[in-house]
Amino acid sequence: MKICLMSYRGNPYCGGQGIYLMYVARELVKLGHEVHAIVGPPYPFEMEGVTLHRVSNHNYFNVRKDFIKPHKPFASLLPLNFYEFVASKFGIFPEIETFSVRAFLKLKELLKEHRFDIIHDNQCLGYGFLLINHFGVPFVSTLHHPLSIDRSTWFEYPSTFALKMKRILYYPLLMQAIVSNRLDRIITVSHDSAREINRAFGVPMERQSVVYNGMDAGIFYPVKGVKNRKNSLIFVGNVEDRKKGVIYLLKALTLTKNKVHLTIVDGGAPNRNYVPRWIDRFGIQDRVTFTGKIPLERLVELYSRTEIAVCPSLYEGFGFPAAEAMACEVPVIAATGGALPEVVGEHMKTGYLVPPRDPEALAEGIDYLIDNPDARRKMGKAARRRVLATFTWENAAREMEKVYEEVIGAHR
Amino acid sequence: MQRSRISGFIACAIALVLAGLFVNYAFVEISPFEISSIGLLDAYTYYALAIPISLVALGICGTGFWVGWTILTIKVAPPMPEIVEKKDYAKVKAFFLCLLTAALAAAFVYGLSVRNYWALAIPAAAVTLVVLGMVFWVGVAIISARSTLPEDKKQ
Repeated sequence: MKICLMSYRGNPYCGGQGIYLMYVARELVKLGHEVHAIVGPPYPFEMEGVTLHRVSNHNYFNVRKDFIKPHKPFASLLPLNFYEFVASKFGIFPEIETFSVRAFLKLKELLKEHRFDIIHDNQCLGYGFLLINHFGVPFVSTLHHPLSIDRSTWFEYPSTFALKMKRILYYPLLMQAIVSNRLDRIITVSHDSAREINRAFGVPMERQSVVYNGMDAGIFYPVKGVKNRKNSLIFVGNVEDRKKGVIYLLKALTLTKNKVHLTIVDGGAPNRNYVPRWIDRFGIQDRVTFTGKIPLERLVELYSRTEIAVCPSLYEGFGFPAAEAMACEVPVIAATGGALPEVVGEHMKTGYLVPPRDPEALAEGIDYLIDNPDARRKMGKAARRRVLATFTWENAAREMEKVYEEVIGAHR
Repeated sequence: MQRSRISGFIACAIALVLAGLFVNYAFVEISPFEISSIGLLDAYTYYALAIPISLVALGICGTGFWVGWTILTIKVAPPMPEIVEKKDYAKVKAFFLCLLTAALAAAFVYGLSVRNYWALAIPAAAVTLVVLGMVFWVGVAIISARSTLPEDKKQ
């Protein structure tokens, strides 16, 4: 098959979209398909067998100063860029919408030379895709979870009226609802996410396919000879993202019988202010460490040094940090928010499940696993076995191939 | 002076002059009690102006109302008591936002129905000045941009 992948952010070190693109593209190439990828910045590295087509973006939403590029001083006054500039000043996140229009223009150019069998977008769903639909090429999109969940979890936390207004304007829910209902198929990464997409955007369950994400067990593995740090916990994720529920974990630290130490791995940590404030309020400054951005090898080593990984998320469409820890044989305490139970598996066998928003239950789970090293060891080993059996990128690509065939067949 | 900076100054100057001319002719040179010409416009000419302005004005009012309504009606789990620092007045403010935007939309529609000059002039002014303000902003950014090219762009 000749496949055109699309991702509005392509670099694997800038977030989930880039990681997904990298692995899906790599595995599809291994299966013998011709893969092209239309990507927005930050761009991915060259991938063997994948032809990259870059589209630009000025990132006005995040770059507040020095947004003029000296070699293109007037680019900001071009219509699409100017729209992006104005929208971002009103708190709207225009990147995915403008990417979809640029991707349409790029695809129009590419279709003169290439005949794609299928187009596969990754979580963009901008209005430009309605134009792409008119090319008559089967078109699917991966939706990891509906953004309505991000919005509602923000509202669970006290915030100012201005911040609430910003959050409402930020998420393009209407656009994603309109576009997701007009594509041939929505691929999602868990059954829970499929139900949420159905609830939020009204996409019928029969027009959705669940393809679990993979986990690279060759990168995430238990490092031999590394000594565990006693009573250590690890949390991996963006602490400012309210749906990660880190505040409940911080509260749990004040309730445990054992004195535990938490390491937070968050690439943006130096610029965070919400969580450090609560660490001070809870009086646990000496028990929490931020690593900031660290290389992958260091993260894998850190997992191996740690006794327990905690994922207190209020919601996860899949939950990469849980799967990473499991692949490293680290027992995971996870909240039952969203798809985490699907990833973590059976309570007390492959992980320890607690209700979301429950610091007492988290504290109880932490104490149980700290006090029972045997249970910890068995749980860690069972967790890695589960990851190896269920969550591989090879499986994901094969499942995706089946979905492509179904969609192409129905399109004829 | 560098060419791009000169152009930045020109963009700023054009934005300022146009904004000045617009404000002058739309508001200063006009006496609200002497405007009769808008009522004399034939229906097609009037609606050719009124429809695009109405779409923008009602779109803005509708967005404001929707933001307020969402804050008022969204149902979420209550926060952990320890993290509630002060009373949240967001719902009260959201109620007033809904009220204000609904009142503005009603006033606009009424003004349109009686062919009031200000019903068209005020929203048109808001949109024009915002766009010109943004052009000015970009112009200032061009003027103050660093002038050195990144290494990979130097040829």
